[in-house]
Amino acid sequence: MFKAKLKEAVICFGAGRVTLKYPFEPVKVPPKFRGKIEFDARKCIGCGGCANVCPPRCIVIEDVGEIAKITFYLDRCIQCARCYEVCPEKAIWPTDEFETATPDKSDLRSDMTIWMSTCQRCGRCFETENAIDKFPSKRWRGRGPGEENKHGIFPVKPPIEFVQRMSLVRESEEKI
Amino acid sequence: MVKEQEFLMELWTHFPDMLQDLQEHVRNQYVATIPREVLPAVVKHAVKQLGARFVITVATDMRQKTGDYRISYILAFDKQKKFLVLQSAVPPDDMKITSVTPDIPAAGWAEREAFDVMGIVPVGHPDPRRLILPDDFPQGVHPLRREFAYNEIFPQEQNMPPRKPAPEGTTVVPLGPFYPTLEEPAYFRLFLDGERVVGSDYRGFYNHRAVEKLGDSELNYNQIPFVAQQICGICGQVHSCAYAQAVEDACGIETPIRAKYIRSLLLELERIHSHLLWVGLAGHIIGFDTILMQAWRIREPVMWLMERVTGNRKHYSSNLIGGVRFDIDETAAEDIRRVMDKVEQELKAVVDAISIDTTLMARLKGVGILTEEDARAIGVVGPVARGSNVPIDCRVDHPYAAYEYLDVQIQVQDGCDSWARTMVRVLELFESIRLVRKILDDMPGGPVMAKVDHELPSGRIGLCSVEAARGESHHYVLTGDENRPYRWRVRAPTYPNLQAVGVMIMGLELADVPISIGSYDPCFSCTERVETLDVNTKEIRIYTREELEEMCKRKTWEKE
Repeated sequence: MFKAKLKEAVICFGAGRVTLKYPFEPVKVPPKFRGKIEFDARKCIGCGGCANVCPPRCIVIEDVGEIAKITFYLDRCIQCARCYEVCPEKAIWPTDEFETATPDKSDLRSDMTIWMSTCQRCGRCFETENAIDKFPSKRWRGRGPGEENKHGIFPVKPPIEFVQRMSLVRESEEKI
Repeated sequence: MVKEQEFLMELWTHFPDMLQDLQEHVRNQYVATIPREVLPAVVKHAVKQLGARFVITVATDMRQKTGDYRISYILAFDKQKKFLVLQSAVPPDDMKITSVTPDIPAAGWAEREAFDVMGIVPVGHPDPRRLILPDDFPQGVHPLRREFAYNEIFPQEQNMPPRKPAPEGTTVVPLGPFYPTLEEPAYFRLFLDGERVVGSDYRGFYNHRAVEKLGDSELNYNQIPFVAQQICGICGQVHSCAYAQAVEDACGIETPIRAKYIRSLLLELERIHSHLLWVGLAGHIIGFDTILMQAWRIREPVMWLMERVTGNRKHYSSNLIGGVRFDIDETAAEDIRRVMDKVEQELKAVVDAISIDTTLMARLKGVGILTEEDARAIGVVGPVARGSNVPIDCRVDHPYAAYEYLDVQIQVQDGCDSWARTMVRVLELFESIRLVRKILDDMPGGPVMAKVDHELPSGRIGLCSVEAARGESHHYVLTGDENRPYRWRVRAPTYPNLQAVGVMIMGLELADVPISIGSYDPCFSCTERVETLDVNTKEIRIYTREELEEMCKRKTWEKE
């Protein structure tokens, strides 16, 4: 009896202080940590892969004509990381953030709206205005104005921003 | 094919006409379709004469395929390392089967559940009450039938299930639904004669999960592992692993060997921190908080390790159909080895101290006795069975993942009490540390994910048992069309173990009841699938939800 208690006392004294001063000192998370997700609307092409694989359905896509509205319900997220595993454009990725406690549920919801362009042949939406961002990139370089018609790829009813940026891109390409 | 297996040969000679189509389905599973009239006789013969262990029954709505319902009895032949599925059709106009519960007590809950979820009536069941459906669920509605949508909201009815009458001259002490030791809902009505327990009644299933319904109707094959791992907060890897292996077995997908080793590694690490959690909790239940503090201090580095290796403390999200999602590299392996050394060293010191502690022995020895006969009859699994001298361990009996390459030693104790269960767990901790080291040494190279680019075939049956820290978790998958299972059945280890509580606490004093319930490491959230209404009963009066809400509001106003 006494021997056991003595041994237990030795263990307890030997352990020292093991608690962390967590809220007052920040905790560093390991590199693989799967935290709150973040996304880049410029990279997203609206393919819907993330919404397709999400087990708790916390990514919801609503298609309204040429607009795709993507909503992230982070309060339902189980941090399984399937969404950024399947994203072809790396438009969604994990952060180190894990302190998501909030009194207001709407803090945990975020959404993005993507303009989808319409194919002139089949009438289906296929790409976003981000295609314009990619225009000066390697994939699109060398394809001059008006050439889109050959591939049947050009936007219908572009928003104002879209037209402005497109003209800027063309100017810069002409200078080169 | 039957003739190769002697144990089935005997069954076949007894029922030659009935078992014509008995055949090997996949790796270690036999499936036979027989008429429902002889089903109880065959099950009884297999269990009583051939030493099979009853695992679970599965009720399936097959009306879209064959026009009938189907009931399947799953039996495990542990010595022969085989599963036997005996299934029979139940016509929709006469949904009755003969109950096997009077002879095989282990089937008690499973048959009650078959009635609840599918409406198949077990005739001759000794306790035909409602088990898992809520009290306010309408009569005659069965949620796992295909016409019942997963998001259907049912009308509420006020019907209380009949309760077990208390014996003459006893006091009824309610333990639960929430009581201070476990923080999980379970409602035991204890019948006391003075301080001694002379009987008990259990009402549980207070958590709404509906995972089986979601798996049948909403999720696809690769989404279910992530929902399955949410079934339990401790054995998440166990459930997702069991499900993935059941589908792989059913569809004949060859998992790469490195993926199998990684699954085993994560399972063993999970067992280590789960057992440490239990040791701490057991100390807490009997008021010995030194053990709680020390066990959880040792456990914490394991949790940090898992966070570094997999990206999360729990819910490793590692399994998909065909393999695992991430590899264990050299730095991670070094980390694991280092933490294992530290855990082993600290654990030895703690075990040295507590194994001679007479206070602990006084609270655990001779408490919650479950004899070997009872353990076999009720079909308990895991450390509860092994503490009662029943050497079953599905890592050895039905090897999965990489366990066929690892030499697992079954830890058995013959004390049949809470102390024996504690010793089983402590010995398993050292065994797990040894296995982790062996896995890291033996792990071969290669890919971790098989290529699954074809559509999975439909109509196949897959079974998998995985040894969780608490016992054997069993998953049954019947594959279907549209890239999702037709039926997915989960049986968590607490499901059979909980049925033994009535026997275990009989004759105990009231103060020993919490530790006897705690000694089998109950996990109510694993077991429960259906929501029930919060009804606070004080012997005579029953408060409805409206009344309770009203009371809450009144209290709040009074405070303000």
